[in-house]
Amino acid sequence: MKKSVKAIIQVIMMITALFTFTAWQASSASAADNSLQRVKQRGELIMVTSPDYPPYEFQVNKGGKSRIVGMDIDVAKKVAKDLHVKLVIKSMNFDSLLVAIQTGKADMAIGGINPTATRRQSVDFSKIYYSGGQSFLINSSDVNKYKSVKNLKGATIGAQTGTLQYGLAKKKIPNSTVKGMDKSTDLVLALKTHKIDALGIEKPSAEAYVKNDPSLKMIPSGYHLNKNEVGAAIAFKKGSNSLVNAVNKSVDQIKQQHLTDQYLASAGKYMKVNTVNTSMWHYWTYFAKGVEFTILISIVATFFGVLIGVILALMRFSKQKWIRGLAISYTEFIRGTPLMVQVMFVYFGIGVVVNIPALISGMIAVSLNSGAYVAEIIRGGINSVAKGQTEAAESLGLSKSDMMRFVILPQAFKNIWPALGNEFISLIKESSIVSIIGVTDLIYQLNIVRADTYRGVIPIFVAMVLYFIMTFALTRLLNHYEGKMKHAG
Amino acid sequence: MQDKKILEVNHLSKKFGQTDVLKDIDGTVKSGQVICVIGPSGAGKSTFLRCLNLLEKPTSGEVNFEGTDLTHVDDKHLVNLRERMGMVFQSFNLFPNMTVLENLKLAPVRVKHLSDEEAEKTAMHLLGLVGLEEKAHVYPSSLSGGQQQRVAIARALAMNPEVMLFDEPTSALDPEMVGEVLEVMQKLANEGMTMVVVTHEMGFAKEVADEVWFMADGYILEKGKPEELFDNPQNERAKDFIGKIIQNV
Ligand SMILES: Nc1ncnc2c1ncn2[C@@H]1O[C@H](COP(=O)(O)OP(=O)(O)O)[C@@H](O)[C@H]1O
Ligand SMILES: [Mg+2]
Repeated sequence: MKKSVKAIIQVIMMITALFTFTAWQASSASAADNSLQRVKQRGELIMVTSPDYPPYEFQVNKGGKSRIVGMDIDVAKKVAKDLHVKLVIKSMNFDSLLVAIQTGKADMAIGGINPTATRRQSVDFSKIYYSGGQSFLINSSDVNKYKSVKNLKGATIGAQTGTLQYGLAKKKIPNSTVKGMDKSTDLVLALKTHKIDALGIEKPSAEAYVKNDPSLKMIPSGYHLNKNEVGAAIAFKKGSNSLVNAVNKSVDQIKQQHLTDQYLASAGKYMKVNTVNTSMWHYWTYFAKGVEFTILISIVATFFGVLIGVILALMRFSKQKWIRGLAISYTEFIRGTPLMVQVMFVYFGIGVVVNIPALISGMIAVSLNSGAYVAEIIRGGINSVAKGQTEAAESLGLSKSDMMRFVILPQAFKNIWPALGNEFISLIKESSIVSIIGVTDLIYQLNIVRADTYRGVIPIFVAMVLYFIMTFALTRLLNHYEGKMKHAG
Repeated sequence: MQDKKILEVNHLSKKFGQTDVLKDIDGTVKSGQVICVIGPSGAGKSTFLRCLNLLEKPTSGEVNFEGTDLTHVDDKHLVNLRERMGMVFQSFNLFPNMTVLENLKLAPVRVKHLSDEEAEKTAMHLLGLVGLEEKAHVYPSSLSGGQQQRVAIARALAMNPEVMLFDEPTSALDPEMVGEVLEVMQKLANEGMTMVVVTHEMGFAKEVADEVWFMADGYILEKGKPEELFDNPQNERAKDFIGKIIQNV
């Protein structure tokens, strides 16, 4: 017992050390400013955004292909063009945008980000390229109730987590309850189903929603705000002065020539196209891609999970105490932390040292996680083989490895097999968490369809059915083979 | 030949944690002898038997097998010595994932490195001996308890052991199957196999055993020829125990 506690503490220390190292890497990397030079050498400007925020950035389905468009994208394109480099767009949750640039996953983050004082402490900002102003969305049926912001006193207000709107609603609307969610699509749905009374949102976004959905109305926020903090600006890793200065030249031009008006107009056009055909059939390629990635991640993670699990299980039966301790600590640590945190750690944490793409990061994290559970399954399967089997094998003079190979494992496998099947099925469901780092699995695609169609519920239903079809088909398949194995044994 | 010592146990003790299960046991098994070990449940009979082939590591004392003290042999050589002692368990312990024939062939092929044909020939011969040739290709689960135990005996014999250890081989069987197993064991004894048998089958002990050892509370309290020990036990505990099993029969 004492030994395993010691081992666990060791693992925690190792992880802390790794983390400190990555943090040190992150800070030391910013010491020398070669940000502009790096982009130019690479010939690519990598941006991250959270494309669920029309008209700033959103996905459209054009000719069966998915594209990210919007005002921000046009801004970024202009910046890239002025720098004479190619623009590469990565997408992930709004929450993760700043982390992504801090950890070097991208050169800049753009996405209607307000350059607040708090944010300025952790990242650098360009000049403000657009000031939209704040507003609230309400249900049309409530127009008489909420004529102006004053009426919102004591109401339940929704806002995207980590946004300026969230903080403002908390601070400026007396007695209000503020509910935060990740996706603006979820928030709009919450509003329409009266889970919230009003939704704090940037004016252009609100206008976009009102234009596309007659059941929504907009009221101005009436906030008196510091202009410097409310506009949208582009975020960079701290210490990227050369890159910021270069980008600011483009921003100056955008403002002088009022280019954002033009950008907004073209974004609006996409949005109109978008509402014409919102049937789920129209989006089947999205869902298909989501299913493909979900299955791909699950298969890969099951494969490596089993590999890791077998190794861990064998370690548990080792004669060496420290090997057993290591396996125990690993298993306990993985089982004691949420998969979501592990996914973010692999992508952002380890990612500072070696830059791993999101899909691979997701696969690694889910595999590492699954390995711990598989190890327990295998160990349980081995322990479930009756003690008499070991004794009989020993009394016949069989070596330990022969005993495992011919007597114990074949019997253990009968118990392990169904449990492994269940693990695979639960991976299909649990791997959905990788969507937070922008892996285009089914959940991620679902959110895109929702943002794209302004339909909150139907895409959820479609995804639910798809998940069910996958897991149900798999269950039947596994049962079939399980039955066959029973027959053979 | 009759006097050659196969097993010699000196001052054997075994503790599980704080509890003394075997206390200073002495005993000798000579070539061709059949020893029956009797005694109340919890006496330490199974532990004693398992100490003989070191399935259980003795706390102190010696277990000499053909002159080698097993308690001082490393794991690798222990495996070699162990294969020369066959063991039959109360609960058969056949490998359910293999056919009867595979059960018999596994150790000869993997441990003795016999060829597949050789192992199969021996296996079929032994199955003939226990009267189960026609069951060679079925899985153990389709056999009756008595049949399974006969296969288990054949499996142990397939390693051509010097001595066979039996731990209550018939006590898990339905009464009508006890006979067929005892018959096989008697046949073995008649062929000169050295055997240590933990059993409560008085009839078998009387007829087959050269010596009966009575165990209680971790001690061997009395040793004697079956007729002496059963008809005229000296030890009070033995008297008591034998009285009870005779009543039950
Ligand atoms: N692995 C073990 N751990 C702890 N105690 C044990 C173990 N095996 C047997 N014992 C104890 O040792 C004593 C003798 O057991 P055993 O040799 O099985 O007796 P018998 O076979 O004569 O019924 C019992 O009290 C039993 O509870
Ligand atoms: Mg016993």
